[in-house]
Parts: sequence; C-alpha cells; structure tokens
Amino acid sequence: MKEEITPSKYKWCKWILIMTMTVLLIRLWHLQVMQGNEMRKLSEQNRIRVKKVIAPRGVIYDRTGKVLADTRPSFNMYITPEDIKDFNQTIDGLAKLISINREEIVDKLKTASGLPPSFPVKIKSDISMDEVAKVEANRVYLPGVNIQIEPKRSYPYGTMMAHVLGYVSEINNDELKSKEYKNYSPGDYMGKYGLEKMYETYLRGKDGEKRVEVDAMGREIRTLDIIEPTPGNALYLNINMEVQAIAEKALEGKKGGCIALEPKTGAVIALVSRPAFDPNKFASGITKENWKAIITDKSHPLQNRVTQGRYPPGSVFKIVLALKALESKVINEKTSFTCRGGFPFGKRVFKCWKKGGHGSVAIHRAIVESCDVFFYNVGLKLGIDRIHEMADMIGLGEPTGIDLPGEKHGLVPSSEWKKKTYGEPWYEGETVSVAIGQGAVWLTPIQLVQLSTFVANEGVTFRPQIVNRIVSPEGKTIKTFEPVIHSNAQLRKEVTKTVKEAMQGVVNEPSGTAYGSRIQYVHMGGKTGTAQSVGEKGKNLGDHAWFIAFAPVEEPAISISVLVEYGGHGSSFAAPVAKAISENLFKPKVDVKEAKIRENR
Amino acid sequence: MRIDKRRLYHLDWYLIINGLALFAVGILNLISATTSFYSSSYNFIIKQLVAFFIGIIIIFVVTYYDYRVIANHSKWLYLSALFFILLVLVIGMIAGGAKRWISVFGISFQPSEFMKPILVLYLANMLYEKKRENLPLGLKDIAWPILLTFVPFVLIVKQPDLGTGVIIALTCLAILWFVGLKKSTYAVLMAVGALLPFIAWNYLMKPYQKMRILSFINIDADPSGFGYHAKQAMIAVGSGKFFGKGYMAGTQHKLQFIPEHHTDFIYTVFGEEWGFLGSIVLFTLFISFIYRCLKISLNAHDELGSIIAFGIGSIIYLQFTINVLMAIHLAPVVGIPLPFISYGGSSLLSVLASVGILLNISMRRYMF
Repeated sequence: MKEEITPSKYKWCKWILIMTMTVLLIRLWHLQVMQGNEMRKLSEQNRIRVKKVIAPRGVIYDRTGKVLADTRPSFNMYITPEDIKDFNQTIDGLAKLISINREEIVDKLKTASGLPPSFPVKIKSDISMDEVAKVEANRVYLPGVNIQIEPKRSYPYGTMMAHVLGYVSEINNDELKSKEYKNYSPGDYMGKYGLEKMYETYLRGKDGEKRVEVDAMGREIRTLDIIEPTPGNALYLNINMEVQAIAEKALEGKKGGCIALEPKTGAVIALVSRPAFDPNKFASGITKENWKAIITDKSHPLQNRVTQGRYPPGSVFKIVLALKALESKVINEKTSFTCRGGFPFGKRVFKCWKKGGHGSVAIHRAIVESCDVFFYNVGLKLGIDRIHEMADMIGLGEPTGIDLPGEKHGLVPSSEWKKKTYGEPWYEGETVSVAIGQGAVWLTPIQLVQLSTFVANEGVTFRPQIVNRIVSPEGKTIKTFEPVIHSNAQLRKEVTKTVKEAMQGVVNEPSGTAYGSRIQYVHMGGKTGTAQSVGEKGKNLGDHAWFIAFAPVEEPAISISVLVEYGGHGSSFAAPVAKAISENLFKPKVDVKEAKIRENR
Repeated sequence: MRIDKRRLYHLDWYLIINGLALFAVGILNLISATTSFYSSSYNFIIKQLVAFFIGIIIIFVVTYYDYRVIANHSKWLYLSALFFILLVLVIGMIAGGAKRWISVFGISFQPSEFMKPILVLYLANMLYEKKRENLPLGLKDIAWPILLTFVPFVLIVKQPDLGTGVIIALTCLAILWFVGLKKSTYAVLMAVGALLPFIAWNYLMKPYQKMRILSFINIDADPSGFGYHAKQAMIAVGSGKFFGKGYMAGTQHKLQFIPEHHTDFIYTVFGEEWGFLGSIVLFTLFISFIYRCLKISLNAHDELGSIIAFGIGSIIYLQFTINVLMAIHLAPVVGIPLPFISYGGSSLLSVLASVGILLNISMRRYMF
C-alpha cells in the first residue's frame, strides 16, 4: 500500500497547478485586457490597408470640344516594405523581370524610409502590359510587390500646345515640405507648368480611399469599404485647335512664338512656342536622362517664348510712336520729314534700312514702308517720357495678366527709370534708338499682341484669357471668365483711323513691307519688325523677325503677334505665319451641302 | 477475461466528460482554424474525427486489459516505439524541414508522440517497487531510467523535434521526483541541470534554435524572422481582449499571419476568438483534467498505477503549460501540440490512449 509520504507531493502538485493558473491569468490579463486595445490596433494594422484611389484630373477641351488633356488607365508598380519577406529576393527578382535596376529600387525605397512601412512606395510608373504579365505571374516569389491601375495624364496632341497645357509630374521633396502643399503626399501628381499649374486647384480631383483586407503576403482579400474619388473639374479653353495646328505648323522647325486672340474679348485662340517638349514624358515619370536633356537644351524648350521671351520689338514699336505723336498733335497726317537714308545725330549717323532713303514721307508712308528716319525725328520730338507714357497706357512692359504662370515683365524705358537704375540722366541719342524699337526696349510677344489689339479696338485691350469656363464633373459650370478690360485709352478717332489705315497699307499696298502676305478675301492690317539682337560685346547675333496684325481691318476679329528668333526680316519670316492663320480663319466657307450635292453628281 | 460490471460502474465519468469537453472545444476551434474567410476545407476536421474514433477504440482496448498486465509488457512497447523512432530517421518523411513522420500504407504517423505514454509505463514499471518500499532513489537507481529516457530523447531531438524531446525528459524527471530521490541525488541532478544550458548552447543547439531563444529574449531583435511568430501570436491573443473577436472571426490566423496556427500555435486561434473569458474556461478545463489525473494517482490501487497516472498528468500539464506560455511569449518557440486541441492524429491518439490508461487505473482502484 501507499505510504504517508506521498500526499505531501500531491500538495506540491496542487501548488504548482495554482501557481500555473495564476501566472497564466496574470499574463493574459496584462496581454488581453491591459494591452488589449493596443494589440487589437496592431492586428487591425496587420490586416487593414488604407489605399488611395487616385482621382482622375479634370479634362481639358478646346473651344470646339476636342480633348487636349485627359486621363487614361496605367499600371503603376508599388512595393510595400512591410510585406517584404526576403529583401534581396524581392528586389533582385523584380530587377530581373522589369527594366529597372536594383539601385533605382533601393533609392526609391530609401526616399520613403520616413513613412510607415505599410505605405506602398511607387517604384515604377506606367509599366508595359508585358511587364505587368511577368510580375503577376511571379507574384508568389515577390511578396510586397503590387501593381495598381491608376489614372495617368495623357496629352493626345503631344508637343502641340505644350506650353499652354503644361505638364504634371510627381511632387518633389521640397514641395512636400512646404505648407502650400500640405494636402499632398509622396507620389502624388501635381501641375507644374502651364494651365496644369495655374488651375491645379480646379483640375485636381479629390482622391478617394479604399480600405482593403490583406493577408500576411500582402494580397488583397476583400474590400471593406470605399470612398469614391471625385474627378477634377474640366477646363474649356478659348483655344481653337484648328487655328493652333496651323500656327504650330507655320512655326515648325523654327524658334519663336505666336499668339492669336480675339480683340473684342481677349480670348486666346492660339498660342505657340517653339521648340516644344512632350508633356506626356513628364506624366509617366520622366527619366533622369530625359530631364537632363530638356534642361540642358540650349534652345530652352521649356521656355514659353510668348509670355517669357523678351525681345527688342524693332519697327513694330513705331506704332507706339505714331499713336502718341498723332494723339499729342506733335505731328499730323501731313507732317513730313525727308529721308535720305540716314539721320545724323551727335557724332554718328543713324541709318534708315533703305539705303537710298524714302525721300519726303508723311505718317502713312512712314508706317507702310517702315521709314526709320521719319521716326527718329518723331521720337526726338516726343522725347522718351511721352513714348513711355503711351507704352504704359497700352500696357507694354507690364505682364498682360494671361492665365499662365511665370509671365515676364518687359521694359520701355523712361528718364525716371534710367535715373533709378543707373543714376544717370537720359540722353537723346538713346531716344533715337528707342524710336525704332532698339536699345533698352524689351517686350514679349504677348505684350505686342496687345499693341495690335489696341489699334484694332481703337484704344481698348482685354486681358488675354486662355480658359473660357470651368465645368464640374457633373456638368455644372463653376466659373465663366468674362472679358476683363486691360487698358482703355480715350484716343481721338482720327488717330486710330490713321494708324489703322497705315497698318492696312503695310499688307495691302504694293510698297508695304508685308505686301507678300496679303490675303485675297480679307483685309489684314499689320506691322513688320526686324529687330537687331545685340550680344554683350555689341556683336550682332542676327535679327529677330516680328509681325503684329489684326483682321479684318473693318471689323477686327483676330489680333496676332508673331516672333521668329533670329528669323531675319519680319516681312519674310513672321508675316507668313499671321497670313496662314488669318487665311484659315476667314476663308470663305464652302457650303457643305452644296459640296456634297456636287460630289453626288 | 471479461470486464467486470463493477468496473464499468467505477468508470471515471468526471475524466471522460472533462476530456470530451476539451475535445469538443478543440474540434470547434479547429474548424475555425482551418477555414479562411472564403474557402473551407473539411479535410482536417475529417482526419481529426477519424483519429478520435480510432482513439475511442484504443481506449476500449487499453481498458480491457489490466494496467498491470500492460505495464508488464511495457518493455516491448518501449522497444517497438524506439524502433519506429529509429525508422523515422532512416525513412521518415520530411515536412517543414524536419523528419518526424513515417508513412505506412498511406497513413502517416509520428512515433515520438507514442513514446510519451509508453515511457511513463516503462519507467513506472521499473520504479514502483522502490516507491512501495519507500526507498529514496540513489544515483545508481536513476542511471538506468535516465539512460532509457536519454536514448529516445537524443533520437527525437535529432529529427529535430526539440519540443517532444523536452517533454519526455521533463516527464522522466517528474516521475523520478515523484518516486522520491535521495538528497545527494537531488544535488547531483541540480548540478547537472545548472551545467546543461551551457553545454546545450555551446555544443548541441542548432543555429535556428539559438535564434529562437535570442528572439524570445528580445522580440524586436528580428521582427520579420524568428521574432515574427512570437510577435504575431502575441498580437493575436492580445487582440482578443476580454470577450474575444467572436467565433470564426479571428483575423490574425485567417489571414495567415500566424504560421502553424492549427497545430502548435492553436491556442492563438482560441485566445483571439474567445478572449480572456474563453481562456479562463479553457484553462480551467485543463487544470481540472490534470487535477483529476492527480486524484486518480492518489486513489490508485497500487504504486504502479499511482506513478503511471502521475506521469500522464505530468505530460498533459507540461504540454499545456509550455504550449500556452509559448503563445503568450513567456516561453521560447518550441513545437509542442496542445493536447485535445491541436490538429494531429498521432498526438490525439497518444492523448486518448493515455486517457484509456487513466480510466484503466481508476476503474481498478478497488481491486485486490
């Protein structure tokens, strides 16, 4: 039989059981009750991923409803660091499958190292279908890799209108740090140039959110709930793509810019700057090489020559003098000066472009044939400050207020300006240069289109406006841009009439400098300019060709400014561009029905 | 030989109902553990139920023969178990990087599981005379039992199955303590026990086993590697909070965050879905079952039955405790199934056979 000694061992056992139960319960209480909330949170973090559903950007249309910028689906590849099991396996495996090298992947992951590891890091945008198939087939060996279908900005016309539309690209680190972009997160796209930048707040939609349940491999198991994204608002532009295309074609292979607008409203019908870039390259994540190529390109494709390029206006500037001289009655229509091909002033002789001289010329012929000597005289009679006054009234030298970012100032000098800048008085000799748009006069093509508008409208200009209206995704018009008067000068009727007639003569009279660009069925008025571009050491770098125009003279419906860098004579290089535009715009419309009937016969 | 009707009357219904309750909890829990949110496979459940019914038959067989007769033949049981364990090392199936199973006619089983109760029988049969004479065991007395434990221990650890190895080693020590040791024997065992960790660490343990210990000490040392299991298990249990997430609603295991959640980490499934409250119930069932083993040991007709019942109670206790402690990060990760609850036919059969032996002892307590 059993001895007495054993029950004490059972007592030990009993104590051990009690102890065990106590330890277990204390630990469980600690884990499940005291730390319970935290543990529950960790388990939710494990399984629930909040994924951004990117909102499509607003579509941009031209005035006829052609799509200039929209969004298309693209495949973007992400890595979620938390889901990586074996770093090298995932990274090397991926580098083998798609055209991206190991360092690039590691780089991208490093830049996102400040974010929570459950935040997916975009590794490559817009991968090809082929790459999608390869990655999907090897998903099991690439834990953490994820492909998302996301909207991508696309510009169906490529380089056409690039400077107007601008481009979108990923937000960079500096922008992320600034307060202005506090609603953005890494990998977000934002407008960085052109209308995309200007109307960013309208174009950018509101991203949605999707809560998905994932398993330990990071695979999506099910969607728990979703907040649908709100697409951005659509922009309807004043641009007419047909006219734009003609202007683009006319400037192809050249460096320069062209703007055409409606003088009665300021609505911009076409705006071209060449050379251009392809905004699509930015939208799918521009490569380092591409970016370098663009910013080191000596022809500056990123510069919008229309709003940012400053050039001496040359003879085009004579219109300003003509207006002021007539208005202030320094001269009248009949006042004439004799041109012998040169104008001695001080120690030097200022030449007229026509070697033999124009003989005795009054204002009409001086503009039609662009006589320099006539305007040397007028300039001196007016003095620099009265020239400046007129320029100021038209708005030359100041930004026009077009709805594009980064518009540049220009310069029309005054004696006050010279004193302020150089501390020196103005010399009359300088006035002589300014009189023909040389010297310290720097204007942008968009400012000069305002000059032509000023004449066409007889003293009134409007702020150039590219966007006509903003329309919400539901089709409701949020904002319509009404014409805004930019300058309104009360000039005497005879003044503008004289200048207008002279400008008509430039194109339509046989002796006019732009007679070669006359149009059969519409009267165009214009003024050519050939501006010498002088380098730092006084070296002549070649001539810029200018042409400003409006048509029809009787009831102006378009106002144009064309610049061709180093193009030579305005008459032979810039005027044809304006001709092409006007010709297209005012060509007699063949009745379509009639044409069809004829075809049927 | 027929079973006496009186013995049926003396069947330990407490133990049976307690055991059935544990098994019922186990099956319910296993259903949740083996189904995901979208797909469910009844394969596991069917296999487990088949094992259960085979286990019932084994209980009948085991209770039919007097435990003393069985213990008398324990040497042969021991040798055949040892043979199979050796066989595992030669022709065993590899699963999860370890050779633990052998397959006979398409049915695979894990011989080391059966070694546990068999070793208890064998040791009890060897030592009960000494206990009856109330002679504390000297060093000479324990040498043979320790050697007989050491041989299967080494073979099992070589599989590698550290968990089962640890269980049989600790069970052997518990039995020796229960029989009674001389003070000098205690001293020697303690000295060896103090040295063993160093020897094990420097000469015996494999790198992955060391990593498990290290990541036990510092769970964040390697959160995506060895610490991962421990951490995810802890999160699962902790996230159950007081009332649990609800049956079939445990996200941690259903979304595969916990490996081996239907076998060694089965408690995490239960803890996540039933919370603190459910865990109290489960622990109480276990403690009560173990307490019943001790009761059977105390009331056993002779020292042999007493030692056997105690040994079996020790196995259940050790497996339960280490398994749960591991899931709540109070013990390093070792592969030990939770009796009645974990998926695994061999484990369940071994437990049910043990229940059979317990019933055997308790129903023959009034026999002379």
